[in-house]
Amino acid sequence: MEERQIQVLLEQAYAQRQLSNWKGAIDLCQRALAIDPDNGKAHAALGVSLLGARRLSAALVEMRIALGLDGNEPYVHYAAAMILRAARKLDDAWAHCLIAIGDAEADAGAYVLGAQIQVLLGDRAKARELLGEALELEAAHTGALTQLARLELSVGNHATAAERALAALQSAPGNTDAHVVAGLVDLARGDVASAETHARFVLTQDGNDEGGLGLFVAIKVRRSPVLGLWWRLNSWLTTGDDGRRVALMIAMFVLARVLIIVTDEAGFPTVSRALWFVWLGTCVYTWIGPLVFRYWLKQELDDVKLDPTF
Amino acid sequence: MSAYHIADVPLETSLSAYVVRPQVPLAAAMFAGAWLAWPWFAFNAIAMGSPTRKKEVALCAGAFAGTLVLAVVLVALVRTGVITSSLWWRLGLTAIVAFKLTMSYYISTVQERTFHVYQYYGGKLTSGRVALIGGYLAREIVLGLVAGPVWAIIVSGGI
Repeated sequence: MEERQIQVLLEQAYAQRQLSNWKGAIDLCQRALAIDPDNGKAHAALGVSLLGARRLSAALVEMRIALGLDGNEPYVHYAAAMILRAARKLDDAWAHCLIAIGDAEADAGAYVLGAQIQVLLGDRAKARELLGEALELEAAHTGALTQLARLELSVGNHATAAERALAALQSAPGNTDAHVVAGLVDLARGDVASAETHARFVLTQDGNDEGGLGLFVAIKVRRSPVLGLWWRLNSWLTTGDDGRRVALMIAMFVLARVLIIVTDEAGFPTVSRALWFVWLGTCVYTWIGPLVFRYWLKQELDDVKLDPTF
Repeated sequence: MSAYHIADVPLETSLSAYVVRPQVPLAAAMFAGAWLAWPWFAFNAIAMGSPTRKKEVALCAGAFAGTLVLAVVLVALVRTGVITSSLWWRLGLTAIVAFKLTMSYYISTVQERTFHVYQYYGGKLTSGRVALIGGYLAREIVLGLVAGPVWAIIVSGGI
């Protein structure tokens, strides 16, 4: 009875994850774990849900618990591979993914995950092979088609990339990743307007989507290099990890202070003062810049007009 | 049926009404000084019930200790005649301020992770504006509490 109840809750959590409702998925996994705290699959599902909510440290904890409780369960290894890939522990991620793929009932998703890990490890041939196997299992798998489109695009096969991207969109019209790839293909082929339609669609779903922001920046760069650079800096600051943001701030601080001191000591107090004002302006900008960027992004997205043929 | 507790979820505390955004103590590090910022970070971690509060408190203590060591070394270099020009004195001070800001940013980054989860579960919040302005106004008094450069280097702000 309890087993069945947990199964239902985990299936509901899976459905919530498909809708990117991470909070709902987390709550359902917690309910499953309240029934049985030693259920490895529930811990793994909670880990994947936490990963979706960008709570990597908690996801890693759940992954370790799941592996400790149910180390023979392929889904636990699949979840571990997904979480370790996000933590950039690629060799460990691949080891777990291999176990998941080795399962007789492995679905196409495990192969796609393996391909994503192989791309990050730099083995594109292996990635292509895995994606081929994924499509043999499920001919219209959106993730496999999207990943293949990316691979084709990276080697300049625009026509094949476009075919794959279109197939991915036909398979899942609302999939943001498929829209990002389709936009990138359009941009590579010079169709900026269509690329922008895809970018706007993605960003209306999630304003922080890294792929969507990257595509939007590429479009801005195409139209205006100066504005594009500003977008690039801000999207980098918006989606990047905190470490590089802090490193940039401290490097700017040290550089500014050293320049101010050296020019002052060398007998150029006016230059030193001017530099001080530039630094002050930079400080003010770092506080209000991201707010302006967010406001501008919202303005850009408020009047989204999708192409009639979209 | 009690809910399963996730590792990064903050614990409930009786001080939750005094939790502020981690950017507020970070601003205090710049405008008021480390004397306010680092104890505030430590208090905020405890008030939030942060699962990483021990690490955060240790980081605050480490920031004070590290600054103390750097300040003592810099002052000793000046007193022993190794540093004689104002250029190197000022660059040395800049290095210490950079260390203090790095520590402040790092503590704020660690606290930010718990803060997101704290907010996610509807945790209470206060602006901390009064304490920040009070700290800014009180910074000269704090600087004057102990004579000597080491104290000033430790407690001063980043701007």
